[in-house]
Amino acid sequence: MIATRQASLFQNYFSSNYSYNELLGEDGSLRPYWQTFFESFSHLGPEEIQERRVAIHRFLKENGVTYNIYGDPQGLNRPWNLDVIPFLISKDEWTTIENGLVQRAELFNLILKDIYGQQQLIKNGLLPIELVYNHPGFLRECAGLKQVDKHQLVLYSTDIARSPDGKVWVLNDRTQAPSGSGYALENRMAMARIMPELFDGLKVKQLSPYFTDLRNALTSMATNQTQPRVVILTPGPRNETYFEHSYLSSYLGYTLVQGDDLMVKDNIVWLKTVGGLERVDVILRRVDDVYCDPLELKEDSQLGVAGLMQAVRSGNVKIANPLGSGILENPGIMPFLPAIAKYYFNKPLILPNIASWWCGQPKEMKYVLENISTLIIKKIYRDSTVSTSVDGSLLSEKRIQELKEEIKTHPYMYVGQERVTFSSTPSLSDKKVEPRNALFRSFLVSNNDSYTVMKGGLTRTSSGSGNMIISNQLGGMSKDTWIISPETEKGVQNTKIAFNNSLQSQSQAQIQSQSQFQLQSQQLQLDAVPSYKSVLPSHTAENLFWVGRYAERFLGNARFLRTVMQAIIEGSRLQLDTDKITDQALLMALTHYTFTYPGFIGEAGKAKFDNPWKELYAMMFDATKSGGLTYNFALFSRAVNAVRDHWSTDTWRVLRSMEEHWIEAENIQHTHFKMIAMLDDLITSMVAFIGLNRESISREQGWSIMDTGRKIEASILLVNMLRATLVNKYEDQVAYNLQEAVLKSNESLVNYRYKYKAHLQLPLVLELMLLDENNPRSLIYQVFRIKRYLESMPHNPLNMNGLPEHVSLINELYDELKGMSKEELSKLDESGGTYENLDDFLADMYTYLATIPNAISKTYFKHTQPQRQLFTADKIT
Amino acid sequence: MTYKIVHKTEYIYFEPISLCHNMARLVPRSTIGQNCKKSTVVIDPMPDVINEFEDFFGNKVTYFAIQHEHSSLSVTVSSEIERSTVSTKEAIETYGKTPWEDARMQLYQPRLDYIDARQYVPETAATTFESGITNYALVSFTPGRAIYEAIHDLMERIYKDFQFKPGFTTVATPISEVMKLRKGVCQDFAHVGIACLRSIGLPARYVSGYIETLPPPGVEKLVGVDASHAWFSVFIPNIGWKDFDPTNNVVPSEQHITIGWGRDYFDITPLKGVILSSGPHRLSVSVDVRRA
Repeated sequence: MIATRQASLFQNYFSSNYSYNELLGEDGSLRPYWQTFFESFSHLGPEEIQERRVAIHRFLKENGVTYNIYGDPQGLNRPWNLDVIPFLISKDEWTTIENGLVQRAELFNLILKDIYGQQQLIKNGLLPIELVYNHPGFLRECAGLKQVDKHQLVLYSTDIARSPDGKVWVLNDRTQAPSGSGYALENRMAMARIMPELFDGLKVKQLSPYFTDLRNALTSMATNQTQPRVVILTPGPRNETYFEHSYLSSYLGYTLVQGDDLMVKDNIVWLKTVGGLERVDVILRRVDDVYCDPLELKEDSQLGVAGLMQAVRSGNVKIANPLGSGILENPGIMPFLPAIAKYYFNKPLILPNIASWWCGQPKEMKYVLENISTLIIKKIYRDSTVSTSVDGSLLSEKRIQELKEEIKTHPYMYVGQERVTFSSTPSLSDKKVEPRNALFRSFLVSNNDSYTVMKGGLTRTSSGSGNMIISNQLGGMSKDTWIISPETEKGVQNTKIAFNNSLQSQSQAQIQSQSQFQLQSQQLQLDAVPSYKSVLPSHTAENLFWVGRYAERFLGNARFLRTVMQAIIEGSRLQLDTDKITDQALLMALTHYTFTYPGFIGEAGKAKFDNPWKELYAMMFDATKSGGLTYNFALFSRAVNAVRDHWSTDTWRVLRSMEEHWIEAENIQHTHFKMIAMLDDLITSMVAFIGLNRESISREQGWSIMDTGRKIEASILLVNMLRATLVNKYEDQVAYNLQEAVLKSNESLVNYRYKYKAHLQLPLVLELMLLDENNPRSLIYQVFRIKRYLESMPHNPLNMNGLPEHVSLINELYDELKGMSKEELSKLDESGGTYENLDDFLADMYTYLATIPNAISKTYFKHTQPQRQLFTADKIT
Repeated sequence: MTYKIVHKTEYIYFEPISLCHNMARLVPRSTIGQNCKKSTVVIDPMPDVINEFEDFFGNKVTYFAIQHEHSSLSVTVSSEIERSTVSTKEAIETYGKTPWEDARMQLYQPRLDYIDARQYVPETAATTFESGITNYALVSFTPGRAIYEAIHDLMERIYKDFQFKPGFTTVATPISEVMKLRKGVCQDFAHVGIACLRSIGLPARYVSGYIETLPPPGVEKLVGVDASHAWFSVFIPNIGWKDFDPTNNVVPSEQHITIGWGRDYFDITPLKGVILSSGPHRLSVSVDVRRA
């Protein structure tokens, strides 16, 4: 049935004589659902498929879907890869998998409750104490806590794979803070958006019931049932799956927080927001449990909340998964599971484990040591930053000896696992369909009664066709996973995704644009969403503030740089003396303005006047030059990524294209004109970024914070520019040139001509740039807006002794500005060389402007205080 | 014998602190031969939150938080302890003669007290087996040697081989460094003993407590001159947990008072806390142990 035009795609596919073939049934014919799928697939045609591949790639990139690779300087925010061919699982096969997974989740829940409760499994010899107590995930602090709910294990996840004979095996269990569900959802959205035809004739199960139950599970955990607040705790933007944390935060409508956004007071967890403390009832954690409380757990952790264990002990906060659940991420438990299943259920395991030998037992250790080169050797605990699993067949003789020694010294820390050959599944690589090994991650969530399994999941494939180890850290592709119902329904496409509308920013536009959007399910979701007011965690507020400052700094620097470059190009054409002096004054001003010292200052600086382009080039492209454009762009980029859930899809597109332009720009030949053209592009993009945010930033408070940052930075930049250009008295032509440059760089030249219809003169320039309340570029305009923002910000009742410091400072600043006249500012000093009043006044303004951010920070971004561990006696003697 | 113990810890901060969380493990537990009749904890300034509970090892824990601005913190624990000797002489004479390898084997019999003791066999970060720990242990644990005699010998060797010298090590000094320096304080010696015993598969735990010190005859004892003390304890099948003090080369009896125990120092840190501050602080500790 495969159309001949697909023949080229399938070249060599079947001849590769690969392991179990997902495509074929037992009778050797193509399975019916694959048949349906490939009919749609071939109908698209090779060219169209290539285009869609590109479209998918772009879609994921523009949505900011990334995965961070540890230890790789280029690895931060690596784009996510998605294969256009999904992983298909038939309904029949799925029924077995689903039952097996639910059984396993129930079993792990019982084991978890027992380990931290009665320890019957240990007492009855079903679980060796060495296997539990030696695992760093066994947290003694969590033993004996009250277990109120039926399910302590709220979330559960496994990696499963098929062997060549079609059997399904469980390879890993994830019980700590399972990742991947957000990527699975994003994959489905991308497929539904870009490849809708492929769903034709296949009844693909929806992912949404899982997320509905996830939301229910989290809210029903709370002790306080009136509008419980759920937060997602992330280690921060450097974490490998940070994209997912922010994505789920948007999708589920829960605030994304880092450890220092939270604090414990009165045995209760509080969220520090710009408006004060808000109680937290449930934490969905993506931080490994030992990092969660520096008081009782890992002492040097900066990711946790001091006192969290106390809040848990008091029953005031619930955590999913609970602290201590990392103990179950323990491949050493596998060989004991069949007996434990018998003990609890009197039934065998539905899904078999991969054969494993725990070296804590003499016989098993002997087996592992004798067969080491044919096994996969794993540690019983997983460290998320280094690989704790090795393929014995790939080790050198020397390494094998070392490993054997390690196993003999700490036998209970090691497990040997059978090396399974995975079955293959079709993948589209370049222009051919090729077989790849696949690993499927499934997701379960407690629904109080039993467990709900996501009908789909995250499939990952190896990077090469022979590669057996599949890891995001090592590259490779992901696939959407389709659970196929046997009956095919005409005209019904099950690609819609239920969605909650509130507190949404990033993905809303993209989903609503989907024609298949199902209104009914949206309505259902709406009811489930708690309607508490949106809050801005102080940490997020601080990042937004800095996004504003860096955006403006970048913009200001780019504009001034452009003005100076243009002046130099023009000046060198005419060769006038006054132009030369202007250029030199501008170059020095540029160094002062951008803080790129020494630059054009001093003796060495003077030497650069004849050919300033090398230094100007460095100001643009030298990443190590602090104050340079590349440097500032990196600061901007970091701040933007730290609050990524605040940007809309359109905003992401602008950001990505800015990043791309920047990277491309470094590789092209730089003529002076090209450099200026590049600045033009960057300025346009940055203006677009700011404009888009005004329209789409999701929380009003977020916008005011960000705009406050912008306005403060704009004020500081303006003051610096005026000080660097207009304070010294020059001859008339030079003074004229400099004033013109200032107006140009601040986009106020047109405004000046329109307003004054006169030749440029200092008092008028100063009036326009400092004192004109109607000029959106003037200092007083910025200051007035800052004043309004600061007055409207919530005032922390704890700090109320009269007016808050930042408000009184901005009031003083505003009053001083308001009382100033252009005549006063334009008075020359006695020597006639400088405008001293102007200089003093600007210096005064600068002091205010530099102090206000500190005062804001003290009130709203208090978390910046470092946390310290105290010990008693240096030593017990 | 009844003791009155006053243990006072004081922090002075150089800048005011607005929030601190603390965990104290300073209230002595009752155990064989020891009855904690009374123990009161006085904290200044008055904490906003106090939770008292028992930890995984059964030690008494006091958690407290001070949620208002303060510039100093003092924690004073006053306890009244009744101490008596429990004779294990007979048991030691019988079961102490068991060859240590046999004793080690017995631990794997399915008995609840043995299973419980086995949690003290694995090494911890503070008691790693590196740097010749095993070889050091094997000098005392020669093949077939009676377990009690071997442990006693180990204690004595640590006492002789290591010099008691405060100030050379800190709580963070690794055991490898102590082995190299051959210097340290009671906490280091306890860790060395524990690591040695664990390296050959025997369960050993860290005991935190006090020791009564007596002034020379005729001199009156000064207040606050005592100190916290630490030693190790070994589980011997059919005898149970038996304490050894390598700092003083004695088998603890009535002059040793136990606060609690754990796998190492970090399970039974007397007082720890987290504060929000970057400033420095000053610490002073005084302990007074006297007969009632």
